[in-house]
Amino acid sequence: MAKKPKIGVFKLTGCAGCQMEIFRMEDEFLDLIKLFDISYWKMAKRDNDDKDLDIALIEGGISTPWEIEEIKCIRKNTKFLVAFGDCAIGGCIPSIRNWIPQMESEEIVYPDPSKICSTKVHGIGEYVKVDAELKGCPPHRKTILELLKSALLKIRPRLRQHPVCVECKFQGNACLITSNKLPCMGPVISGGCGAICPTLGRICEGCFGPMSNPNASALANIFRDIGLNDEDIKRKFRKYSGMSPEFRLEAGH
Amino acid sequence: MASYIIDKKDLKILLDKFLKEFKVYGPIKPGLDSSVDEIKSIDDLHLEYKSTIISPKKFFLPPKDTLFEFKIQKGNYEIKEIVNDEKFILFGLHPCDVNAILKLDEFFSGKFKDKYYQNRRKNSIIIALNCTQPGENSFCKSMNAGPFLYKGYDILLTDIDTKYLIEIGSDKGKKIIQGLKLNIASKNDLLKKEKKCKLANKKIKKILDPNWLPKLAEENLDHEIWIDLGERGGVAGSFPCLSCGSCSLVCPTCYCYDIYDTVDLSLKNGSRVRELDSCQLLEYGQVALGGNFRKDRKDRIRHWMFCKFGAAAGSKNSSCVGCGRCIRVCPSKIDITKVAKSLWRKK
Repeated sequence: MAKKPKIGVFKLTGCAGCQMEIFRMEDEFLDLIKLFDISYWKMAKRDNDDKDLDIALIEGGISTPWEIEEIKCIRKNTKFLVAFGDCAIGGCIPSIRNWIPQMESEEIVYPDPSKICSTKVHGIGEYVKVDAELKGCPPHRKTILELLKSALLKIRPRLRQHPVCVECKFQGNACLITSNKLPCMGPVISGGCGAICPTLGRICEGCFGPMSNPNASALANIFRDIGLNDEDIKRKFRKYSGMSPEFRLEAGH
Repeated sequence: MASYIIDKKDLKILLDKFLKEFKVYGPIKPGLDSSVDEIKSIDDLHLEYKSTIISPKKFFLPPKDTLFEFKIQKGNYEIKEIVNDEKFILFGLHPCDVNAILKLDEFFSGKFKDKYYQNRRKNSIIIALNCTQPGENSFCKSMNAGPFLYKGYDILLTDIDTKYLIEIGSDKGKKIIQGLKLNIASKNDLLKKEKKCKLANKKIKKILDPNWLPKLAEENLDHEIWIDLGERGGVAGSFPCLSCGSCSLVCPTCYCYDIYDTVDLSLKNGSRVRELDSCQLLEYGQVALGGNFRKDRKDRIRHWMFCKFGAAAGSKNSSCVGCGRCIRVCPSKIDITKVAKSLWRKK
């Protein structure tokens, strides 16, 4: 059998939830380690080697100068670099602090911010070339598997970027916007989750980030019509993907 | 064929007979946001419903459908067909939806016969219900698809106050009510149906002339309305299109689908899946090397509306039946009848 591809899982500024999602693939996990050589994954093993990786899954965004160095170093050692989850793609929830002065946010958290040296939060694509993105906070197990299987077969993964509305209609749900006048982010947010929240009667919060070619301004106008004020609307677009070019205007740039 | 009547309170007898032999699906909620799902007893059935969120096309062209499974063994492929042989009754479908199924029939039995569709269709029995309370978004009358039905049913029910008029439309229909003691309908009952039909027609407020719809498409390819719909302020009180695809996914005549293969982690077993697609999504028109035939939102919404006007490749097989679902479901409040009228006016 050919040599198993070497995988590395790295964590930058994030909550470790995306890595947990790999652990949660309980049914497939044992098969996965038969197929891949997990060469670097601090959360899972003691001895780690980050040299000559075939695939690197990067969780988390960039928020310190050291992380900039680290991601550039990983890039050099990796054939195929994956932005694994929303933080690595565009900063996600940690990027909410980009809208207040650095000093202010540091003073809220640290008693003595004089030692803190952090930057605005960005996705890894700000600094290095990214080969694939796995959307989601965290990404769905199915999309992780799809990417890994495609890597083995050397084919293009089928990672759709259609809106949550598509999956919501597949479920047969009534539209929360038109039927209940609720500010659901579904029409601009990438699917992949199976529309879990709307199926339970809750609005989409936007955790998979922007779909392909979203019309964010139209949805902001619809929210205004439902009765949201400008501040509410900004907060909704900032929450998971305020740094994305697709949502920048609505997030208040 | 003969017509019969049944008291509304006796509908249970009819349904119970069907339940013994078939799986029965019908409207399970009142109102506009109903859905056609499995009926286990008369209490589940809400024939007073106005519309369903998803159209009954889901029974013939499911959103996700596994077509076959494959296995690779010693270099050879082994294929296992997935055949669905369940016989079922669709109870209480409105005329617009039955007319839409007739359009799908045409499409899926053309030059290329789709056996997955045809198999399900063969196993289905349609019990239609004439629409006496059309919703505010209905314009079936203009599209010659309602509110009353004249073809395509196995059995047709009409609410005539305390009774239902039962009309038989096919041998299948005749067979399934055999053995039931039903009274023959009187002339008076048939007259009542006529009256109900006139009343229902009057309730429909949205009117279009279907004859000029394909022409509208031909003459307005570069109309500025499409830019308004795609990017600017919308048309006739709507917001701009979100390209969320909801309109086409709920549409009873939108049949476009995508086909792909999935494999398991052994990389040796897999299945071929058919999934409902939508022309409103960016990926729909995407081809190799990143080309895209409909990159702009305005092109996508224009394409969908022209398709519904009967001016796209699907012609009459994918044209509108006036059920009004897309108007109800659109978060941007885009109303295809208002867009058509705006095009007509601004010509």
